[in-house]
Amino acid sequence: MKTKILPGVTAIMSLVFALSVQAHDPKEHMKDADAPDCATMKNMDQSKMDMDDPVTQAMMQKCMKGMHNMKEMHDNDETVHDAGQENDESEGHTNDDGSTHNRH
Amino acid sequence: MVEKKVQSCGKCLVITASIVILGGLAFLYSGFYPMGADVPHNSLTYWVLETLRERSIARAASNIQVPMDLDSSDRLLKGGADYNDMCAGCHLKPGKTQSDFTLGLYPSPPNLSLDGNDHGHDNHDESNYALQRQFWIIKHGIKASGMPAWGPGHDDERIWNMVAFLKHLPELSSDEYQILSARNVVLQEHGH
Repeated sequence: MKTKILPGVTAIMSLVFALSVQAHDPKEHMKDADAPDCATMKNMDQSKMDMDDPVTQAMMQKCMKGMHNMKEMHDNDETVHDAGQENDESEGHTNDDGSTHNRH
Repeated sequence: MVEKKVQSCGKCLVITASIVILGGLAFLYSGFYPMGADVPHNSLTYWVLETLRERSIARAASNIQVPMDLDSSDRLLKGGADYNDMCAGCHLKPGKTQSDFTLGLYPSPPNLSLDGNDHGHDNHDESNYALQRQFWIIKHGIKASGMPAWGPGHDDERIWNMVAFLKHLPELSSDEYQILSARNVVLQEHGH
């Protein structure tokens, strides 16, 4: 009897352990994550910013990463938009009367 | 003569020890000690618990190896995001002076956004021991204080990232804190 219960108990314990480990995966926090407000960097005194300071380096890194992501997303949007336009231009639509026209 | 004196002294010690133990047990079971977090410990209990805590941490943390790259910007960014998610509710952040946790917990969690001198702990002392101590406390937590052990769900590297962030936390403005601790790297103004 005991040997029959054991695998079940072990499986449940392993599952609970696995879930508890996943609970603090950084991705779990992404749902409610704030984005960095990099616009405030413009108001900071640039002359006092020391580029050797780890805090300044980290802020630059974070905001550059954000801008890079934005650029990538923007580029992707443009690519999708352009591809869509090309498709529209090449794709003809057949009307009920048998004639074709392009959708703009 | 001397033997008799030693015997009577021994009896006195046994009787005194018995009275102390019985008195202690009687007090323990009487339920008179105020256990609520809204009533502070008396100074003797506070001293005993604080000494016990600090001596225990000092002994346990003394052999911890501190990484050489604690000042790297990568560590700051990773540690900042974790601090904001896991610690700021109790240990506050720049621009915030209290929360429900700081008002209700006893002992009150130290405000880690302040200098060590301002919040009564040496947490921001950059000495090797201060860093070892912070690492140990984050990893193992502290019994009956509200400080959980983060070790079971977080590897050592992730805990060191938080220690790296704590080193710089008191010098951050609220704007700098926001940028460093924001986990999402896509800018807010991006409307997609």
